Amino acid sequence: MRLRSLLAIALAGVMPDAGAGAWACGDELGSARRLEGDRYVVAYVTVPAPIVAGAHFVVDFVVCPRAGIATPDSVRVDAMMPEHRHGMNYRPEIVAAKNGRYRAHGLLFHMSGRWDLTFDLSTATGTERLTETISVE
Amino acid sequence: MSARGTFVVIAACIVATAMAPQAGVMAQPGASDFPEAEALKRILQLGPWPVAARNDPSNRVSGNADAVAFGAALFIDTRLSGSQRIACATCHRPDRAFTDGRDRGVGAARGDRNTLTLLDVAGQRWYGWDGANDSLWSQSLRPIVDSREMNGDLARLAALVRSDAALRQHYVRTFGSAPGTRDDRIAVDSAKAIAAYVETLRSTRTAFDDYRDALARGDVSTASRYPTAARRGLALFVGKGRCDLCHSGPRFSNGEFHDVGVPFFAERTRVDSGRYDGIRRLQASPYNLLGAFNDDPARSTATSTRHVSLAHRNYGEFRVPSLRNVARTAPYMHDGSLATLRHVIRHYSDLDEDRLHADGESILRPLRLSDVDIDDLVAFLETLTSAGPP
Repeated sequence: MRLRSLLAIALAGVMPDAGAGAWACGDELGSARRLEGDRYVVAYVTVPAPIVAGAHFVVDFVVCPRAGIATPDSVRVDAMMPEHRHGMNYRPEIVAAKNGRYRAHGLLFHMSGRWDLTFDLSTATGTERLTETISVE
Repeated sequence: MSARGTFVVIAACIVATAMAPQAGVMAQPGASDFPEAEALKRILQLGPWPVAARNDPSNRVSGNADAVAFGAALFIDTRLSGSQRIACATCHRPDRAFTDGRDRGVGAARGDRNTLTLLDVAGQRWYGWDGANDSLWSQSLRPIVDSREMNGDLARLAALVRSDAALRQHYVRTFGSAPGTRDDRIAVDSAKAIAAYVETLRSTRTAFDDYRDALARGDVSTASRYPTAARRGLALFVGKGRCDLCHSGPRFSNGEFHDVGVPFFAERTRVDSGRYDGIRRLQASPYNLLGAFNDDPARSTATSTRHVSLAHRNYGEFRVPSLRNVARTAPYMHDGSLATLRHVIRHYSDLDEDRLHADGESILRPLRLSDVDIDDLVAFLETLTSAGPP
């Protein structure tokens, strides 16, 4: 974990601004969705894609800090249906991989409709939440 | 995701176009009343039926014919119970769609909950009204040892299988060796045989399935045979009623848990907390899919058990039951408190939102249905009855 964090910090120092230039956060994920925040960019794909209502899925994602921003101390993935005011019935587990990549296991959208998938990226100075609205058939 | 979504919408539009009224094509009254594209899309998601049968990897004898025969024998054997008078089939009666027709099950004592059907239960994520079990075999063991149901125990069951010549022979055929010395292992194996039998209890196709498939292939003639009242009821089901939010997919259930405003007092001074206690009992059970009795080393069906989350809002939630053959499984709700389908629909029509116990969940709202609407919904639900046995 410490090695991964150090590597992520080192990479953050040499990477260009995540939102600019030819390089794009999460290029290695292929056709990833990108969520742009003030401090971080998150690129993610789901497996399977598209998400199927009532079936577990995983989220593979990369967190790219903007220039001068520290890598997050903690990363949390969750989801909820704002229209119904409920979340998932399952708590995802996040496993850190190499090079700032993560995999969130155990998500399940148990109803069709509009879900907000959220990434909470926290440091000692605060949390940035990036949200993607997903329509599940 | 978007590609698939686009395909579905396009397919729906194509079907809708194909089903559009054409002079000289539709001979029967009401045949021009085809669903709009959005409703059609939602209707198509309620099938096709049957779903493909898959063996349960957590049960090494799932799909095994010898196990099915062993399980069928155990299912009707009253010696599994403490009183020697109660079998699985006592409450799960084949002539009542594997329910008992009572408001609450009665075994060694009167229970708190309505007896669920055993039809089409193979492959569910959770079992029972509270989902305290995550496999059909663990659910099959539960009533045998429950003091208010069959009131048996592991030692009694194991001794019976060891000593009875016929059951012992079934065991050897099914598992390839004589029953050993561990009572819990023999009891769980017996429950796995019962599960193998129960997996075979599948409902046949319904009038709704014929209608749904006719819509899918653009078969105007067949679709037009579906009763007009049922068609209006179905339109309410996927439209104003939004019933398919929870009663979704070919099983007419999302397999999860909701608070639908039914009081959760099992008695005046005792509460049935439903899913809340179900999760706690699941997590404490040695028979859950994370435990040693799971025959699948990869734990490939244990994801839900590993990640399920206990929350205060689970209090008073109960599992969404399938609606297949619902007209044959009265009375209704987790406590059997509603006698007829008409009572159930009226419950949702007149729902008192203040009585909902969930922490902020807002799926339900009073539907304010007319008497005709209620008749139409009943007509639709009756078309979910299998045409043939079981």
